[in-house]
Amino acid sequence: MIAPAIATLFIVNIFPLMWSFGLSFFEYKANRIAAPVFKGLDNYADVLKDPDIWERFQHTATIVVGSVVVQLIVGFLLALLFANEFPLRRYLLMLVLAPMMLSLSAVGVFFKLFYDPTLGFISRFISLFTPDTYVILSTPARATIAIVAADAWMWSPFVMLLVLAGLVSVPKYLYEAAEIDRAGWWRRFRTITFPYIRSLLLLALLFRTIETFKIFDVVYILTEGGPGSSTETVSVYVYRLAFQFFRTSLASALGYIMLFAVIVLTSLYLYAIQTRRAEPVNE
Amino acid sequence: MRLVKTSIAAFAVAGASLWGLLAPAPASAKDIVINMAAPDWLPTRFMQEEFDRSYKSKTGNNVKLVIDFIPWGSFYQRVAASLSSGEKKYQMIVTDSQWLGDFVEGGHYLKLNKYIDADPELQAVIADMHPVLLSTSSSYPYKSTNYYGFPQFPDNLVTAFRKDLFCNPTERANFKKQFNQTLPCYYNEWEDVDWDRYENIGKFFQRKKGDKLGDGVAEDDFYGIAYQMGKPYDFSSMQANGFIWEAGGDIWDETSTKPALGVVNSDAAVKAFDHYLSLEKYMPPVAKTGQMDIFVVQDLYMQGKVAAIVDWVGVMGPVINPKLSKVSDKTDFAEPPGTRKPDGSLSRWSNIGGQPFVLTTWNSDEVIKEGLDIVKWWMSRPVQEKFVKAGGQSGLLSVMNDPAYATWAPYNRAYLDNYRWQKDVWHIPEFFPLLTEQQEQFDKAITGQVSAKEALDTVAAFQDKLLREAGRIK
Repeated sequence: MIAPAIATLFIVNIFPLMWSFGLSFFEYKANRIAAPVFKGLDNYADVLKDPDIWERFQHTATIVVGSVVVQLIVGFLLALLFANEFPLRRYLLMLVLAPMMLSLSAVGVFFKLFYDPTLGFISRFISLFTPDTYVILSTPARATIAIVAADAWMWSPFVMLLVLAGLVSVPKYLYEAAEIDRAGWWRRFRTITFPYIRSLLLLALLFRTIETFKIFDVVYILTEGGPGSSTETVSVYVYRLAFQFFRTSLASALGYIMLFAVIVLTSLYLYAIQTRRAEPVNE
Repeated sequence: MRLVKTSIAAFAVAGASLWGLLAPAPASAKDIVINMAAPDWLPTRFMQEEFDRSYKSKTGNNVKLVIDFIPWGSFYQRVAASLSSGEKKYQMIVTDSQWLGDFVEGGHYLKLNKYIDADPELQAVIADMHPVLLSTSSSYPYKSTNYYGFPQFPDNLVTAFRKDLFCNPTERANFKKQFNQTLPCYYNEWEDVDWDRYENIGKFFQRKKGDKLGDGVAEDDFYGIAYQMGKPYDFSSMQANGFIWEAGGDIWDETSTKPALGVVNSDAAVKAFDHYLSLEKYMPPVAKTGQMDIFVVQDLYMQGKVAAIVDWVGVMGPVINPKLSKVSDKTDFAEPPGTRKPDGSLSRWSNIGGQPFVLTTWNSDEVIKEGLDIVKWWMSRPVQEKFVKAGGQSGLLSVMNDPAYATWAPYNRAYLDNYRWQKDVWHIPEFFPLLTEQQEQFDKAITGQVSAKEALDTVAAFQDKLLREAGRIK
């Protein structure tokens, strides 16, 4: 019964993985008829020695740190807001959740239009306060902030959802008891709320770090790695190596180094979860 | 008597039509689908519509052309990914001319010489093709007699300008007063425009919202000039290369006898590239982001935000379409500006555009025959004429030399005249890495991260290394 499922998994998932892993040890260009030539670990050594690739890792790290921090802060604040009842809460919640349901490409296109200096409303709004037209994507720093803003806009609701799940699970009697004890807002948050949401925040942090580390669509559509290569992430570079420079083997090797980084992050996540399971929530 | 004759004739026609409808297709008639990859724009959209409307296979087979319309920005990557994956999806491909080397060497494009040799109709097409197109769109190695394709759409750069502004007496008088030059209004006046005067035009028409513009006021910030300055695909190289060639520089040594260092980053090339960059300040601010591609240039012009643009003739159809363009009735066309030579004449070297369509190597004999029949249909005089009248262009001398050609569309005269000044980029398999690196370095220069010299030094070093590795520079 499970044979077709296993066959499908093998064909669409495992085989390409193994094939590209194999290619990473050869010299091979996908646009040439020439047979692959075995190179051992040379591609991995080339990747690790290439300053361009380290530069892309730095760009990726900047975007990951910037975006994940903004997502955690905004998501957390939104969750605090939506943990309370207020008029139209349900409808507002639906609106706030909408960005994470959009396709990544659509978000990229939206923000590209928003940032357009001639027609985009964000550029035009900022230009009201600047002497000249404000061109958001014209410098590396601004372009990086623009990418972080687009990614954070899309994924902050995801963090909010996780944190909100933690907030609504806090038993109400704990807050009532704290009120009797005249505990202040900060003490209530630190001793009651935070222990319930800590593991979910960690989960959000790791999920979003892993996902943002692989960021491609938004960057490619918004800046295509520009200005120059100043916002080019590792994923975009893998794509360019594979499909613009046709250095198939090198792209495979870099892809596996990325995979290794993601596995390390995932292991950290699993370790954190296990540690949390071992610690009972302090009620 | 006349009534009887008319009735008989009517019955005969009706009977023949009915017979045509009811008669079975030939016993051997087959359904043949030809999938063709193509960029998504007017010339290929027209081809699909015209095929669906009028094509009938001579063999009696039911031939269907299905064009896969791919956005320009990802055109190469999509086709390259399909070809290198081995999926064999396409039977025909509309290919950018400089891809020929890459995909011929990759074993994907079918050499057509034996089919041409056996077919007088194809020989006639080859004999009728503009010689520039024969070398850029059909042959590999470049300028050889190994033929792989026929021009689906030949293209070159032209100027579109706002005649309501350039021909406005007050604007002309003000321009003359400010620069002691003529603000070009007529075709012959534009023929004498060099990049320095184009720069003055840029300066002159830079207006803020509410400033006087022509007989009215600018409804929004207005810009003088625009040309392609985009990072994706070839959306800066195709303009910058022209500046370099006009100044006597080059983008590589085609003979492969010299290293790239010293050719690509020669003093002439650096100066010319700097000149290309210097005009950015008179363009819409999106130029500063490195994202002003050919469609952004076209769109800004159609929205009435720029006075004059240089762009491909292939994107000019929508510019004169009142449904799409705010300035459709205010636009005229001319050749692009050039660089003044010491003798006072203009050098107008420009990067040729346009795409041939080719057949792929995995096609059966039957599909090859049907594919070549489509080529002959497309290259036939009636279809070419219809195509030009619908906004396309022809690469056939017999069509181009028709005295009426220049009247079929307002940009046709500029297109025809500009053929004297066409060059092309690297027709070698390494073209895409060369292009990609050049685009990236040009983008750094456009966005002010490096100087023109630094950009060309990096391009030269990259090209030198790549061409040495490929054995092209010894």
